Amino acid sequence: MAGPPKTRRDNVAVDNSLCRRCQTNAPTITVRTEPLCSACFNKYVSTKIVKRMESFRVRHAEVGQERLLLLPLSLRACSIVLLHILSQHLRVQGEKSGRTGYRLHVLYVEDGKGEASEASKLYELIQHRYPEHTYSTRPLSDALALPGMQELLIQNQPAATIPLDLSTILTTLTSATSRTDLHHHLLRKLVLHSAQSHTCSAILWASSTTRLAERTLAETAKGRAFALPAQTRDGEAQLGTGTAFYYPMRDLLRKEVLSYTSLVSPDLEELILDERPRPAVSTRDTSIDELMRQYFSSVEREYPSIVANVVRTTGKLLVERVEEGWLEGRCELCDVGLRGRAPERSRLCFGCIRVLQTREAGG
Amino acid sequence: MPPHPCESCHTSRAQILRPSTGTRLCAPCFTLAFETETAATITSSSLFHPGERIAIGASGGKDSTVLASVLQTLNTRYSWGLQLVLLSIDEGIAGYRDHSLEAVKRNAEVLGLPLKILGYEELYGWSMDAVVAQVGRKGNCTYCGVFRRQALDRGAAVLGVAHVVTGHNADDVAETVVMNLLRGDLARLGRGTSLVTGTGGGAEGGFASVKRSKPLMWAYEKEIVMYAHHKRLDYFSTECIYSPEAFRGSARTLIKNLERIRPESILDVVRSGIDMARLVPGAGGEGGSGSQRVEAIPRDAEDDTGGGCSGGNGEDAGGEMARVEETLRLDERAEEEGTETEIRLPAKATNGQRHDRDVAHTGPAATALPPLVNGQNHDRHTHTPDIATVPIRTKQEKKSGRKTASDAPPSKQRLGQCERCGYLSSQAVCKACMLLEGLNKARPRTGIKVGGAGG
Repeated sequence: MAGPPKTRRDNVAVDNSLCRRCQTNAPTITVRTEPLCSACFNKYVSTKIVKRMESFRVRHAEVGQERLLLLPLSLRACSIVLLHILSQHLRVQGEKSGRTGYRLHVLYVEDGKGEASEASKLYELIQHRYPEHTYSTRPLSDALALPGMQELLIQNQPAATIPLDLSTILTTLTSATSRTDLHHHLLRKLVLHSAQSHTCSAILWASSTTRLAERTLAETAKGRAFALPAQTRDGEAQLGTGTAFYYPMRDLLRKEVLSYTSLVSPDLEELILDERPRPAVSTRDTSIDELMRQYFSSVEREYPSIVANVVRTTGKLLVERVEEGWLEGRCELCDVGLRGRAPERSRLCFGCIRVLQTREAGG
Repeated sequence: MPPHPCESCHTSRAQILRPSTGTRLCAPCFTLAFETETAATITSSSLFHPGERIAIGASGGKDSTVLASVLQTLNTRYSWGLQLVLLSIDEGIAGYRDHSLEAVKRNAEVLGLPLKILGYEELYGWSMDAVVAQVGRKGNCTYCGVFRRQALDRGAAVLGVAHVVTGHNADDVAETVVMNLLRGDLARLGRGTSLVTGTGGGAEGGFASVKRSKPLMWAYEKEIVMYAHHKRLDYFSTECIYSPEAFRGSARTLIKNLERIRPESILDVVRSGIDMARLVPGAGGEGGSGSQRVEAIPRDAEDDTGGGCSGGNGEDAGGEMARVEETLRLDERAEEEGTETEIRLPAKATNGQRHDRDVAHTGPAATALPPLVNGQNHDRHTHTPDIATVPIRTKQEKKSGRKTASDAPPSKQRLGQCERCGYLSSQAVCKACMLLEGLNKARPRTGIKVGGAGG
């Protein structure tokens, strides 16, 4: 008797004072012009992520043969939400068929930015709340021990003492943009290395649509747009590594993720590292990445579909063709192709050369 | 703090800090560097050929004034033998062009270049003031932008010139890159950073085949101002009184903030635009740097915005972004419903699940979609009761939905020629001819309207 009730339901006028989807509860939040109640909103968010996961072919696998996926944990809202929803997803898979399609390994990279003790406390809370996964931590400074990094960074350190330490390197860079950029690339290299050492087949980056749009314009502003298709789409981001990069949260806006953390029950707010509101700083101390973050936070409020469209547009660009001897022709810091984008016989692209300029060189 | 000596001649005091390179120069060395770099842009891309006739789009603003001055200087210095002529378009907006056209006339005398001024009235039969009187202030930018898009080409054809140069600078190009990313306009991403656009078929082809180029594409707006200042050039600055900014305003603000953080970023955005152009599916030409390769690429309305007007999409600030947002949201809604249809079959097993999903599916569709889409939605409802008994139909619907979704994204503009005036157009009749037809049809009512106002 599915027909008649559905027909009747379809013809009922929508009551906009109720949740658009269930037409039962009062709305709690408006999502892209739709008023939704908490339950339907939470379902909306988790459905977006689970659908993406299922497109990565991580359905049921034989016991012991599940794909191991790495989830980099930043203690910020997006990675916490991803961990929460995937934990639920695995639990549901297990309950339904007794098997799961994948397993998670959670990696926390200590970058020394926030309060270390606060971060440690949160990290333990998270492990306690989601005990079914395996966990490991690494300091960001481990990235300096990766092959080639010491020689790469020491070039720009005239009075260097070996081995270099991370804070010294960051201090001598000429701008906030350079510091942010180097931090990002070191983190990416370290996460990739960790994924390989734990034999994970893919990395699940917790980047929202808003974050991906920000990266699109930030990389465009740094002259690295040619790398965007490879950096923002799902798949093997770096040929030859065998490790895929997946972005299961690419369909969610950052503000939707933030709302989820307080509307889901029990809420996730206690797990999130407090990000103190930044004081207004001069333009000189702002990085390009921060400018784009501010820009898209405002665009996101009024024009969320435009944010999503920026990411979709980048996704349509072709990935740069693999050239002969691609391994020798890549920037050693950001891994983009060097042909036409670097001085002769340089190991760095123009963009990274600018990033690594030290204060003395820049002045 | 002792004054810095010029990094080039090491003699004079450095008065200028170049934003593009961060070097400190004295005024003569700066103007020489600016001219030399422009010359390098021109020669490295073989932009001109000896003896070529070139029309300089002259608005009276700083960009075109500097362009005219630099080209005249280089033409003399390097004996290129170019025949330069200034070409100005008068939109017919009282109070807007008068002073800038006076500046162009003065420059023509100083530079010793011939000048041709053509009005919209001459080219189209309608001045912008007349258009505004006819259609009102709202939407008039569409007319001005569309007419403007062709005006320089029509003017060049009147002069028998096949190559027009404009004063678009690096800031303009960077703004265009950002705008096209925000709009998701792949086609324009592929075209916006080209040094040369247009078919360049020669004068025989009339105005439809005029070649366009941007010799100042790598020059910063700030340096253009500095150059004009140190050469004591005479120019006039103004903004169209009818045209608030839209996407371009948002992009411009972002570019200016970017420049404050890191001046080199403007050129980085331009380079990124060139790289993305090569990554656009269907974009031809592998190999070689974008700025080196001279290729005939169709032109866009955005190429015509150097003079201060927004392109053919002028609207109230935010209006265009709001409209794009609405269009995108409806597209997303439609695509999501396509997806919902696919999921319905697996959910059939459980009444409760199907019930919930149906509610979610029908709710927004019933009230939010415009009439046409609503019609489609009605069709889907018709199928719903039969879903259990006619599975094949459901499959067809699913297939159809998927096809629609997959077909939409890669839709490209197929450029042909307007069947009336021959101008490049993706439609049988170009926008300008369509707008003119509308204006001309409405013309007889002007008298009636005036009478009505009197009553």
